Amino acid sequence: MVEVNALDQLEYYLTSLDELGEILIDADQSASVSKGVLRLTLGTVMASKGAIFLYHHEGDQLSILAAQGLKKEAPLSSPRNLSGQCLKHRYSHIELDENQSWITGELKKCILELGAKILVPLFHKDRLLGLLCVGKKFMGESYTSAEIKILKIIANHLTKALYNYELIQNVDEKGKQLNLKLLELETLFDISVAISSVLDVDELGEEILWRSVGILNASKGMMLMPKENSPILEPNSSFNWEDTDVLISKKLTIFKKIDDIKSGIILTPEDKNSLQKKLGEHHIIIAPIRAKDNILGYMVLCNKETRHGVEAFTQTDLDLLSALCNQGAVALDNARLFKDITEAKQFNESILGSIATGVITLDPLGEIDSINQAGMNILKMNSDETIGNHYMYLFEKDMEIIGLIQMTEMENKIHSEINMSFLTVSKEAVVNVSVAPRIDPGGSVRGLVIAIEDITDVSKVKNTFKRYVSKQVVDELLNDDAKLNLGGEEREVTILFSDIRGFTSMSENMSPENVVSTLNEYFSDMIDIVFKYNGTLDKIIGDELMIVYGAPISAKDDTQRAVTTAVEMQKQITRLNKKRIKRKDIPISAGIGINRGIVVSGNIGSRDMMDYTVIGDTVNLGARLCSAAGPGEILVSSAVWKETQKHCSYKELEPIKVKGKKNKVGVYRIEHDG
Amino acid sequence: MSDFSLSVREEGNTVIIETTGYLNNVGGEKVSEACYEKMDDGKKHFLLDLENSKVVNSIGVSILIEIIEKLQDVDGKLGYYNLAPIVEKTFNIMGLTKYSTVYYSEAEGLEGMA
Repeated sequence: MVEVNALDQLEYYLTSLDELGEILIDADQSASVSKGVLRLTLGTVMASKGAIFLYHHEGDQLSILAAQGLKKEAPLSSPRNLSGQCLKHRYSHIELDENQSWITGELKKCILELGAKILVPLFHKDRLLGLLCVGKKFMGESYTSAEIKILKIIANHLTKALYNYELIQNVDEKGKQLNLKLLELETLFDISVAISSVLDVDELGEEILWRSVGILNASKGMMLMPKENSPILEPNSSFNWEDTDVLISKKLTIFKKIDDIKSGIILTPEDKNSLQKKLGEHHIIIAPIRAKDNILGYMVLCNKETRHGVEAFTQTDLDLLSALCNQGAVALDNARLFKDITEAKQFNESILGSIATGVITLDPLGEIDSINQAGMNILKMNSDETIGNHYMYLFEKDMEIIGLIQMTEMENKIHSEINMSFLTVSKEAVVNVSVAPRIDPGGSVRGLVIAIEDITDVSKVKNTFKRYVSKQVVDELLNDDAKLNLGGEEREVTILFSDIRGFTSMSENMSPENVVSTLNEYFSDMIDIVFKYNGTLDKIIGDELMIVYGAPISAKDDTQRAVTTAVEMQKQITRLNKKRIKRKDIPISAGIGINRGIVVSGNIGSRDMMDYTVIGDTVNLGARLCSAAGPGEILVSSAVWKETQKHCSYKELEPIKVKGKKNKVGVYRIEHDG
Repeated sequence: MSDFSLSVREEGNTVIIETTGYLNNVGGEKVSEACYEKMDDGKKHFLLDLENSKVVNSIGVSILIEIIEKLQDVDGKLGYYNLAPIVEKTFNIMGLTKYSTVYYSEAEGLEGMA
């Protein structure tokens, strides 16, 4: 009978162990395992009350994983040196009696409440994981050795399960920590990517701030930047911060300290720093944003969040924030440099765009890498036709310019040439060209700069006007466009006509070559005098010269200069005749007439043939006076006489009848000794 | 950006919660409150429009995990759309996307919830 009972008992225990295996396999959390195991344990040993406690080394606490017959649920403080006391019973169990005086406090209360008899320490190697506590058996029977054995077997399995769950929990925790580290690394990586992609200072600042707030679980943050020429620190960007109008001075001791130690600072409620007062926050972490030795600003974050409230930032947080700020500093510095360079480039481009000189830059390979608007206008090409092309291709028709560029390339010094024909554009185009090496800050040559000044129009004006006016007048006109009015206008001028007397009949006895050489010699001498007194050569008609004083540029002494010109012309003719007589050429003589009055001046003619000239009665009277003048005579009108009588000797002649005038006009003859 | 706010609406059986602001402890709690209130009414499908929540911290993520756990108990689903790249990356790294789904539009989200 006893053997049968023992067999039954054995079978019962085996069934319990089998059930235990199922519990351990099926349950997926330590709490549910413990609940199942406790129920099974109590059923196996026929006890009504019991509990499984989990021991937490950190905090030296016990928590109740599963309990039957125990009201308490909250964690309880463990007796002093629980682990050490239990170690003595590592391979056995503790029978709870009055000898266990080390069991004190809340654990003792629980044991009394459970009426516990047996306590099995759950050890994995030397590490206490928990306690299995079993109450008294039904009917107050004592525990048999078989029951103690089965309790220990169950406890061993429970220990293994708890250890496994702890391992899993640790792995989960480590996984979570690794994920957070990964997130930190990703954030650092993202910021390093942003360095190369985001070049807007504000946008970048915001990006770094957002990332920092998120990764450090801060509740809010702001990036403070020094205001230019001021000790004030301004929020460059802020996150989750309602009132950013707080006046923060860079002179606050905390910023001075950060500058000195070149590192960030953590503030806790105990610090009572003035910045905490200003911001109305107790938990603050600040890191400098430093590029080399220059502090660009400060990152200020507040309140490290947890599920249970706010806690102090740690050194690890500060290390991470410092790393983010260091990355950010590089990015911000790059962005600032880019902004400066862009502004400088825009400034340079606006200067280059506004000047009239064409500026073309060549890279070290000789290809055009930039050209300003004036350059495109001068070359009559757009940027597509120029950028990227080699200068040899661009200036292939202008070997002189190519030579100039090549000289600069070889000698690395500036070469200039003026009045160069510019066949790239047209046969008529004339340019001044200057080629200089492009030297980088390190002193290395990085290509060339070609400056082209289009002087085609200037050259045209000079070439055109220099035939009619003196160089001095041309220069004056070119220097001051306001003086040049080539449109039609009424103006007061003095007109001088000169005409060789009897030249037509004289030339009949001369060879054509002699006629031409005579006229060329005569006109050359006369025009030199005209230009000497800044007269404008209006026309040469046969042997007649028409000179204007007062157009296109007027002066107070226009009439006096005309008179002086006339006197000098007559003197030169006398000198010329002496040479002619020596050469046995027929002497020549000229009559000159001068008038002053209102004319219409301007470019007059057809679209194909247009000349700057003057027309009107004043001109006609000048011509009539010239006709009336005898050989060597200078006849002037009353108007000329009035202006110059003080400086010249005149003889008043009989008034003459002039075509188109009702009344005779007054005539005066200059008494000269030419 | 400051102050967290949200609006809740329903499209069929799906509850759409549009958030504005930092999804941290405060923001996360407000989202969970809104979700649990609707779960009490029998709702199981939730979509979060995070267009105006550009920053999420790990506390916000842990609250979302709690919401997912509670939804799993009732065979519910949580999804998101209009995520900023940084938020999507955080969700991926923190393992949130294993148990919930990122959609690229409300329409796609509603289709996924059906």
